[in-house]
Amino acid sequence: MTYKMRIVATALASMSFAYPAMADDKTIVIGFATAESGFMEAYDKPAQEAAMIRIDEINAAGGLLGKQIKVVKADTKSDRAEGAKAGLSVLDQGADLVVVSCDYDFGSPAALAAEDAGRISFFLCAESVKAGIQGVGPHSFSASVLAAVQGATMAEWAFKEKGAKDFYRLLDTWTAYNKGICDGFDWMMPKLEAQGAKLVGDDTFKNEDASIAAQITRIKSLPKEPDAIMLCTMMPGAVSAIKQLRAAGINSMILNGSGVDGSYWLSAVPDLTNFYVPVQGSIYGDDPNPAVLKFNATYKEKTGADPSSQYVFPGYVMVEVWAKAVERAGTTDADAVVAELEKMKDEPTLFGPRTFTPELHHQNQTRYLIVETKAGKPGVVGNWTISEPVPMDALLK
Amino acid sequence: MGAAASLANSTAASAAAAERKPARFALARRTILTPVLLSLLLLAIALITVMTGSRPFNQTVIDVFVRVILVVGLYIFIGNSGVLSFGHIGFTCLGAYAAAWLTINPMMKRGSLPGLPEWLLATRLPYWQSAVLAALFAALAALIFGRVLMRLSGIAASIATFAMLAMINTVYSNWESVTGATSSVVGIPIVRTIWPYLIGAVVAVFIAWAHAISRSGLALRAARDEPTAAAASGVDIPRERLVAFVVSGAIMGLGGALMAHSIGVVTPDTFYLGLTFITLSMLVVGGMGSLSGGVVGVVLLSALIQGLRWLEAGVSLGESTFALPKGFRK
Repeated sequence: MTYKMRIVATALASMSFAYPAMADDKTIVIGFATAESGFMEAYDKPAQEAAMIRIDEINAAGGLLGKQIKVVKADTKSDRAEGAKAGLSVLDQGADLVVVSCDYDFGSPAALAAEDAGRISFFLCAESVKAGIQGVGPHSFSASVLAAVQGATMAEWAFKEKGAKDFYRLLDTWTAYNKGICDGFDWMMPKLEAQGAKLVGDDTFKNEDASIAAQITRIKSLPKEPDAIMLCTMMPGAVSAIKQLRAAGINSMILNGSGVDGSYWLSAVPDLTNFYVPVQGSIYGDDPNPAVLKFNATYKEKTGADPSSQYVFPGYVMVEVWAKAVERAGTTDADAVVAELEKMKDEPTLFGPRTFTPELHHQNQTRYLIVETKAGKPGVVGNWTISEPVPMDALLK
Repeated sequence: MGAAASLANSTAASAAAAERKPARFALARRTILTPVLLSLLLLAIALITVMTGSRPFNQTVIDVFVRVILVVGLYIFIGNSGVLSFGHIGFTCLGAYAAAWLTINPMMKRGSLPGLPEWLLATRLPYWQSAVLAALFAALAALIFGRVLMRLSGIAASIATFAMLAMINTVYSNWESVTGATSSVVGIPIVRTIWPYLIGAVVAVFIAWAHAISRSGLALRAARDEPTAAAASGVDIPRERLVAFVVSGAIMGLGGALMAHSIGVVTPDTFYLGLTFITLSMLVVGGMGSLSGGVVGVVLLSALIQGLRWLEAGVSLGESTFALPKGFRK
């Protein structure tokens, strides 16, 4: 009996999977091998919505190379093995561009599948240098900006614009993203020290730590409160760390990576002040670029809510730069499009300039808006581009 | 007179014993049908998969074959000894990382895993050689752990194997220069043809069968069913358990290596509780005591999981891989 059942099950399985490849000449296919369920959905979904907005705009304007863009999807279920299957599934459906999960760890199986098939893959918002040539291959890109740029941007901006002299570095060792922010900070710091800044101490904690009292004690026992604390962490532990720092009466500037952008958690730390985050675009309705405000309105119209954080934006940038490269190449052929993408130098996009080179398919220097939270209200207070790009050896550390 | 009688007696006894003693390979002949049928079943699945020509389905079946290897590995120890082990996925982790160390391009390795010894940094082997070495490496680890753990029995042994899993996971999650800590190790060549996985699964099935009918396997099963009687008959229980532990460790290592080659990325958290419980439930569902049970359990549960995934396609209910086996475990 079990044998029969198994045979029937296998036959059914083979039938339902044997759909034909649907690539044809009238459409260009973008395949999303992203998480539609599981914890990664919270990161993938908003960026994917933003990508859809750009795709709809292109289709409404007559399409790409005169063809409409068709979207196919496969759910990675926030699981690596399923990610590989999702990648293969959208490839089988003829995807010319494979869009993969935000995080390098969860997006790479699908990206590797695309690389294997000689197609272009784009990480929605991964910020590790591995999300690209270094960790996937020559056809892989990331739509976001390297974490190291965030740390470097905050350090340089605080020193040059806010006159911060004494810096303190507090690293949450949980993820590669956190370490990336601090790597950028570490690279920038010696340059600032040559100009009069000083690193007065550094410490580590873990995202899951319920208390960082020991770390706070060490900050409190410094002869003088540091001007700025570089806090390399992310949700959910970030909120608790920030709350404890302020509760202990430490009023230094707190510098962060983009991972803590968003107002959804601010009620947990009432009247937070002197708190700074680098963002690619503002979700607070005060972006200096009116086109971003228009995008935010469109996003709200489509999804019923404002963007929850800046991680919505890279999805839009991704389709924007890829479509431009396809237009210029006159084809969706992967190698030709990669060549066009690699020619982009400070290519203007809605959310800052983008550069790709044959060595790096990621941003190692770009403009960031700086958002300051003052009495619990976040708002843009300026923008900063680091004085020189973060070099490869600092990224690969 | 007495001496002659006793001589006659003993000759008669040895003649009777010879009569009762089965012919060489009789047991093998009687039982070989099981691994052959199981292999044919796996072969049939592989052939159907190749005929569909669907790449995601191909990947799904590769996953099933890897799980077959892992569950057969579990069966070799758990099925024959009756000791529930929660630690075997640790050997899978060792195998997967060993495969990564041996197959990644030396240039990349120098950058991402600088703490490896020089000879390993310079090595680059084809995937099948690395898989064999990975299996041996896992077997060596099993030998070392097993020497200590196999003296325990019952629940104490289970808990100790769980501790071993936690130890391996902690070491691999933190040894930055050798395992890359929690970040993914990339650059492992991906093998997307189904045949190596089929061969791996078939080899695992045959090894499991050969072990089960071997002297050591039979002694171990005797010890599982009647430990006191087995010990009284001269079975060295810790030793027989150790043999099974090492053989199953090798199979788990092989499974880990092939798993690494099927996705191309390894991280320590892949080889922890999730995989432990899903493979254990596959073994339990099929029937812990039999080899066919292990293989059929994998195929059935994989088909069920896949079926549920198709059913919920488009409608996300937050259903995840381990939600299902948890229900089964209860």
